[in-house]
Amino acid sequence: MGVPDDVDLDRVWVGVAAQVWRRRPHRIERLAAIVLRSPGLARALTTTPSLLPGSLIATALILAVGSLAARETGTPYAALLAPVAAAAGIAYSYGAGTDPAWELIRATAVSDRMILLVRALAVFAVNAVLGLLASLASGAATVLTFGWLLPMTAVCALALAAATLARSATAGLAVGTAAWLVDVASRRLAGGRLGAAVSDAALSVPYLIVAVCCAAVVVYATRTERGVS
Amino acid sequence: MNVEAADLTRRLGRTQAVAGVTLTVDRGVYGLLGPNGAGKTSLLRMLATVLAPSSGRLRLLDGDPGDHRQCKAIRRRLGYLPQNPGYYPRFTVVDFVEYFALLKEIPAARVPRAVAAAVERVGLGDKATARLRTLSGGMLRRVGIAQAIVNDPDLLLLDEPTAGLDPEQRVAFRALLRDLGQTATVIVSTHLVEDVGAACTQVGLMDQGRIVFSGTPDELTRRGEGTDAAGDAPLERGYSAVLTEARA
Repeated sequence: MGVPDDVDLDRVWVGVAAQVWRRRPHRIERLAAIVLRSPGLARALTTTPSLLPGSLIATALILAVGSLAARETGTPYAALLAPVAAAAGIAYSYGAGTDPAWELIRATAVSDRMILLVRALAVFAVNAVLGLLASLASGAATVLTFGWLLPMTAVCALALAAATLARSATAGLAVGTAAWLVDVASRRLAGGRLGAAVSDAALSVPYLIVAVCCAAVVVYATRTERGVS
Repeated sequence: MNVEAADLTRRLGRTQAVAGVTLTVDRGVYGLLGPNGAGKTSLLRMLATVLAPSSGRLRLLDGDPGDHRQCKAIRRRLGYLPQNPGYYPRFTVVDFVEYFALLKEIPAARVPRAVAAAVERVGLGDKATARLRTLSGGMLRRVGIAQAIVNDPDLLLLDEPTAGLDPEQRVAFRALLRDLGQTATVIVSTHLVEDVGAACTQVGLMDQGRIVFSGTPDELTRRGEGTDAAGDAPLERGYSAVLTEARA
């Protein structure tokens, strides 16, 4: 029996293929799509390079080692490592050379800046939770458990600003790490304690200023390029 | 007109990549020819809204790409394949094309059918669920083309789309180009003069950031007649003759 003339087999096949190949998004992606009100942005979030299992395991291991070292020595290594680990994740969350399809994504309707913002916030949140767990496990005082959140914000913002301006995740990580090392070392020299950078309440305002300024730099650097028309 | 550019320029550091291009293109397939470093990729990136012009006037699909809202609307109707698109090795063909369908804001209910149609159109139906890391260079190129056409674009920009395709695939791709050109504006940057002869209705030749020839492939061929310009085919001789004249 032949196919009736008015049946377009190609069209029928595409309909069948669409159902066969249809992929049900992961629960996290479905939730993100509802929260962000954009399935595209949700998919972009789940493809964040620094949220892939390998990166997360590496971060967790670094913080676990820091936590163990802190328990043994009494020095808040977990709190000192958390800002750098988070800065690395943020610097490698999105950009040229980090996301393989960066050039393609830039020509799509979902905003570049939104992808960067959503990915950076997600990486920050995940690292904050991991850092808090590591800090709690290290038996640090409450002031230290939460004291590193503000410096972490400042270091992450600095790394993101540098990565965005230089269009290089490595540059972002290098700047963030160097700044944090200088900060920790200078506090150590001034006060004699290695943990001063995360425990001195007087540093809250400078960290906040750095974070806000760097965020402003990122917003400026990721503005839509306005060509003449 | 789907593309209207007037005196468009772009500086990249000290290099004047595009030096005053004036171009109007409507429906059909427009081939952009030129030697390496002629400015084809920079021009295509500006048309893809990835790179802003340094000066000049640009309108795409009757919109202003410099305006945020209009740029978003343009991008929903745009397809773009860069020279080096970049792929996620762990994605399957369908995952990758679907990702870009979502980023192009195709309504979610229409995505599966749009993805299936694009994958079938580039002849990758039998590889739909294969991971990208297992595909050959030519197949990856076709995946790139599939993501570019998944939204049925009104403006399709392809930078060296036939690189890595074997002769059979190139013939099939030229047929696809001619088909797409029936309803959309397709701009193809290529080194391969034979692609232009086989698939393009209009051709532009770029050199040192400028368009030094614009016309039909037949007109370009005629420019080489009666000259001693280099080339194995009539169109190649036309290409060489125009370049020699432009540089004289």
